[in-house]
Amino acid sequence: MTPERWEKVGKLYQAAMGLQPDGRETFLNDACGDDTAMRRDVESLLDAAGRAGSFLAAGAMNDAAKMIVEGNSLWLVGKRLSHYQVLSLLGSGGMGQVYLADDTNLKRQVALKLLPAELLANEDRLQRFEQEALAASALNHPNIITIHEIGQVDGLNFIITEFIAGQTLRQQIAKVRMNLPTVLDVAVQVASALVAAHAAGIIHRDLKPENIMLRPDGLIKVLDFGLAKLSERVDPEKAVDAEAATKFLVQTEPGVVMGTAAYMSPEQARGKEDDARTDIFSLGAVIYEMLSGRAPFAGETVADIIGALIHKEPQPLSTLVSNTPAELQHIVSKALRKDRDERYQSVKSLLIDLRTLKQELDFAAKLGRSVSPVSRDAASKKSAQATTANAAMENAGTQAVTARPTSSAEYLVGRIKQYKPGFAAGLAVLLLAATFGYWFYSKRGSNAAAIESIAVMPFANASGNSEVEYLSDGITESLIISLSQLPSVSVKARSSVFRYKGREVEPQQVAKELSVQAILNGRLVQRGDDLTLYLSLVDARTGNQVWGEQYDRKLADLVSLQKEIVREVSQKLWARLSGTDEQKLAKNYSQNAKAYQAYLKGRYYWNRGPGPGYEKSREYFQQAIDLDPTYALAYSGLAEYYGIASTVGLLPPNENWPKVEAAANKALALDDTLAETYNSLAAVKLYYYRDWPAAERYFRRGIELDPKFAEIHAHYAVCLMSFGRNEEALAEAQRSVELDPLSPRFNYFWGFILFFMRQYDRAIEQFRKTLELDPNYVMAHEELGNAYEQKRMHIEAIAAWAKALTLSGKGDQASTLERTFAVSDFETAVRALAQKKLERLNEKTGRGEYVPAWEYVMAYLRLGDKEKVFGWLPKAVEETYGFALNLKVNPTFDTLRGDLRFQDLLRGLGFKQ
Amino acid sequence: MLLAWSDGDQSALERLMPLVYAELHRLAKRYMGREHAGHTLQTSALVNEAYLRLIDAQGVRWQNRAHFFAVSAQIMRRILIDFARARQNVKRGGGAKQVTLDEGLVLSPESGADLLALDEALERLATLNTRQSQVVELRYFGGLNEKEVAEVLKVSSRTVRTDWSLARAWLYRELSSGGRDDA
Repeated sequence: MTPERWEKVGKLYQAAMGLQPDGRETFLNDACGDDTAMRRDVESLLDAAGRAGSFLAAGAMNDAAKMIVEGNSLWLVGKRLSHYQVLSLLGSGGMGQVYLADDTNLKRQVALKLLPAELLANEDRLQRFEQEALAASALNHPNIITIHEIGQVDGLNFIITEFIAGQTLRQQIAKVRMNLPTVLDVAVQVASALVAAHAAGIIHRDLKPENIMLRPDGLIKVLDFGLAKLSERVDPEKAVDAEAATKFLVQTEPGVVMGTAAYMSPEQARGKEDDARTDIFSLGAVIYEMLSGRAPFAGETVADIIGALIHKEPQPLSTLVSNTPAELQHIVSKALRKDRDERYQSVKSLLIDLRTLKQELDFAAKLGRSVSPVSRDAASKKSAQATTANAAMENAGTQAVTARPTSSAEYLVGRIKQYKPGFAAGLAVLLLAATFGYWFYSKRGSNAAAIESIAVMPFANASGNSEVEYLSDGITESLIISLSQLPSVSVKARSSVFRYKGREVEPQQVAKELSVQAILNGRLVQRGDDLTLYLSLVDARTGNQVWGEQYDRKLADLVSLQKEIVREVSQKLWARLSGTDEQKLAKNYSQNAKAYQAYLKGRYYWNRGPGPGYEKSREYFQQAIDLDPTYALAYSGLAEYYGIASTVGLLPPNENWPKVEAAANKALALDDTLAETYNSLAAVKLYYYRDWPAAERYFRRGIELDPKFAEIHAHYAVCLMSFGRNEEALAEAQRSVELDPLSPRFNYFWGFILFFMRQYDRAIEQFRKTLELDPNYVMAHEELGNAYEQKRMHIEAIAAWAKALTLSGKGDQASTLERTFAVSDFETAVRALAQKKLERLNEKTGRGEYVPAWEYVMAYLRLGDKEKVFGWLPKAVEETYGFALNLKVNPTFDTLRGDLRFQDLLRGLGFKQ
Repeated sequence: MLLAWSDGDQSALERLMPLVYAELHRLAKRYMGREHAGHTLQTSALVNEAYLRLIDAQGVRWQNRAHFFAVSAQIMRRILIDFARARQNVKRGGGAKQVTLDEGLVLSPESGADLLALDEALERLATLNTRQSQVVELRYFGGLNEKEVAEVLKVSSRTVRTDWSLARAWLYRELSSGGRDDA
C-alpha cells in the first residue's frame, strides 16, 4: 500500500461513513469500479469501524493499568483504604481478594475483603449487596464471622471482618483425614451458625469447605453469609432445566463455579428458586467430605459434577470409611436428599441429630477414660471394654478396625447404657474434687504475704525533658536486673515491660497480660540538679497499693538512691534477703554517679539495637570506663557492643573479636559473676577461636550464674542448633521466651531456629508472633519471607521481603522486587532484587566501606551465579564464623548441597566439636 | 517539526515517569473497584500536572502549550510502551508462568488493547499517513481531546475526527486479523 492509495481508501471510507449503511454498497461499487481490492479494503475498514466498540476509547493509561491489575493483586498491599492499612494478601478467589489489614483507629488486625468490580457492576446489585451484607452483619453468633464494616472508598467496595488466624476446612481436609469426633464437632458448630442465620432470614447459599474456618482453639467460623447471592449466574426464569443451567454455568466462570458446584443443592444447580434447605444439602456434602476426604458428587468438569448431583446417589459413606456410625450415615443421607421436601426441613432438626450423636460418642469416649472402682473384677472388665470402645472412636473415620454388623456408635451406646450409673457417680466425685481443689488453691493464692512475681514498669519521665529519658529507662532497668537476682521472685524482663512505655494501662490489665502478681510504677521528675522519684507498688490481685514512697535526691546521689529503692522494694516483696543476696544487689554498680549515668546511657542506646545511634552506646560505655576504670558492667557492655557489631556485619569481624575478648576479660577480672560477660566470652570462643567446647563451657557458666538471663539462653539455643543439637536448642529457645515472653528478639530467635530445622509452619507462626510484638522487626520480616519461600508461598514471601526492605530504608529495592514480581514471576523478581543489591554492595566497596563477604555470597546465590558464589564462599567462611556454622543447616543453600565443592567446603570448616 | 526530541526531553521523560507510574497504580486501584469509566480524563489531568511541573524544568524550553502536549504524548507513549515491553520480556525471557492466583481476578477482559502490537501498527500507519498516526498518539497516549489535538496539529477539529475514525478502524483491523497472541 502506498500513501497515495491509502489516501484514496481513506476518502472512500469517509464518504461511505457519511452514508446510510444500506447505501454504502452501491456507492462503493460505483466508486471502485473494477478495483475490487480497493472495495474490499474499504468494506473491511467499515466493518472494523462497526465492530471496534470501545477500542482505544479508554486511553493508553487505562489499558496499561489493566495490565497491572490482571497480572498482579499485590498492589493494594502497603496502601491505605480509609483507616485500614493493608498488610498482606491472605487469599484470593471468585468473590474477591482478602487482605490482612490493620485498623489504625481501633488498633486491631482485621480482614479486608475486596469485592470484584464485576459483581457490583450495576446499582441493583450494589444495593442488594449492601442489604445482604448489612443483614449478615447483624448476625451475632460465635460461629459466624463478625462483620465490622461495609465500606466504599475510591470506588472500591470492601467488607471489614474480624481476622481469623486459622485455616480453612479445605486446607484441613487436604492435610489430614479428620477423625469422627472432630467431624462432628465442626458439623455441630456450622449447623449452629446456620440455625442463627436462618432464624434471621439469611441463607448462606455457598456453604463449602473454603468458607469454613478452623481456629487453632477449635472454634469454627462460617464466612461469607449472604454474599453468594451476588455471584449467582443463573436467572431462575431462563434456566429451567439442568442442561441449560449447566451450560450457562460452564460458560461463565469455570473456576469459580468449579469450586462451588460440588456443594450446590440440586435446586440451585437447576437454577430454581431456593430456600434455607439449600444450606442443609451443602452442609450434608461438607460432612460427607470431612469424613471421606472426597466430595459426594465428583466429576472432571462442572457439567459432570452437576449431572452427578442431579441424577446420581453418592457412594454410601460406609463403603468409603469403615465404622461409620449408622446414625451418621443416616444424617448425611437425609441432608443430601435430592428432593428438598424429603430432606431435613430445618437446620435445627439436623443440628439436634448431630448433637445427640456427638453427645453419645463423647459420653462413650469419657466412659472409656474413667474407670470407677466398683469392684476389681467389674472394673477390669469395664476397663477392657472401654478401651476397645475408645479405640473404635479414635479409629472411626480414619481406618478400618473390626467390622461389626451394627455401627460402632450403636455398639458404643449400647455399652454405655449398661454402665451409666457407675460412671455418673464417678464423674460427680471428680467434679467435686476439682471444684474443691480450685477453691483451696485460690484461697491460698490470695494470701497477701507472698508476692512471687512482679513487673517493674518503665518509669515515666515526667520532667518533660527528653535528656533524662536515659535516666528513667536506666533506673527501671537496673531495678529489673537487681530484682532478678533474688531467688524467690520472678521479675518480668525488660523487653516485656518496655512495650508498655508511654502507654496508659491499668495495673491490673498489665498484671493479667504479663501474668504477674504485682506491678511497680515509678515517675521521675528532674529539675536542675534535683531529682524526685515517686514509686508505688500495686498488688494486682487486690488492686491495692501496698507501698508508696517519694525520694528527693541530688543527681549526684543517683547510686545510693538506686540501692535504697532496690532494698525498699525487696523488703516490701517479703523477700528474705540473705547476706549474699544483699551483696549481690549492690555490687554491680559503680560508686561514681557520673560513670553510672554514662553506663545507663550506653545501655539505652545498646538496647535500641544496631542502627542509627548504635555507635553512641560504645561511646558511653567507654566514657563510663574512663570515669571508673573498675566498672565491670561497663566493660561487659563494651564487649557486647563489639560482639553484636561483628556479628551483624557492621564491623570487620576479625579486627573486632579481639576487642570483644579484651573488654570481656577485663570485666571478668573485675567481677566474675556477671552472666553478660560469659555470654560475650562464649561468642569470642566460638566465632573467633572456633572452639565450641570452650564456648559451651562459658554458656553453661553464665546460665549457672544467672538462670534468668534470657539473652544467654537464646544465644546458646542458636549455637546448639548449628551443631545439630535440635532438641536442646528448642528447649533453650523456649526457656528464653518463657523468661521474656513479650520480647520480639527471643521470639524471633526461636522462629529462626525452627526455620533452620525446616519446620517452616512453626517458624512462620513464630515470626508472626514476633511481628505482633514489634511490627517493625526487620529481620523477622526477612526470615518470614525466607520461610514462605521454602513453602513456595511466593506472594507472601515477596510481601514480607518488601516490608523488610522498606523498613530498613531500602524502598527502591522493595519497589524493584514488587514491580518485577508484578510483571513477571518470582524467580525473576528475586534475581532483579539481587542485582540491585549487588550494585549497592559494589558502590559501598567502591567508597571503601566494609562489606561482609557473606553479603556477596547471598547476592550471587540469589542471582544463580554459582561460580561467583563459590568464589566468595571461602572468604565469607574465613571472615564470619557464625555464617559458616549456619551453612551446614541453612535451607537457603539447599540448591548447592549437591555440589561437590560445597561438600568440600563444609568438610573444610573443621570446627572443633 | 514539533515532535522532534530535544535534549530537554530526556529529562522530561525522567520527571514524568514517576507520575505516570503513580497514576497507573491509582488507575489499577480503580479497576479493582466499580468504576470502569474514567477514560481520558485522568490522562489529561496528569498531563496538566506534568505541564505545571515541567514548565520550569531546567533545559526544557517549551515553545508553547501545543508543543508541550505533543512532546508529552510522545513521552507517555514511550513510557507506556517501555512498561509493556518490560512486562512482555520478563514474561517470555523468564519462560516462566505469569503471576496467577487460583480462580484469579474476576475482571472483564474487554478492550485492554495490546499496547505493543498497537505501537507497531502505529509505526506502519505513520508510513501511510503521519498525521493520522499523530492523532492517535495525541488522543490515545496523550489523552488530548479533539480540540486540543487540532490545536497541536494546526488542523480543524473535523479533520481530527475523520482521521481518528479511519485510523481507529484501520488499527482495529490490523490488530484483530493475525494480530499478536498475548497482551
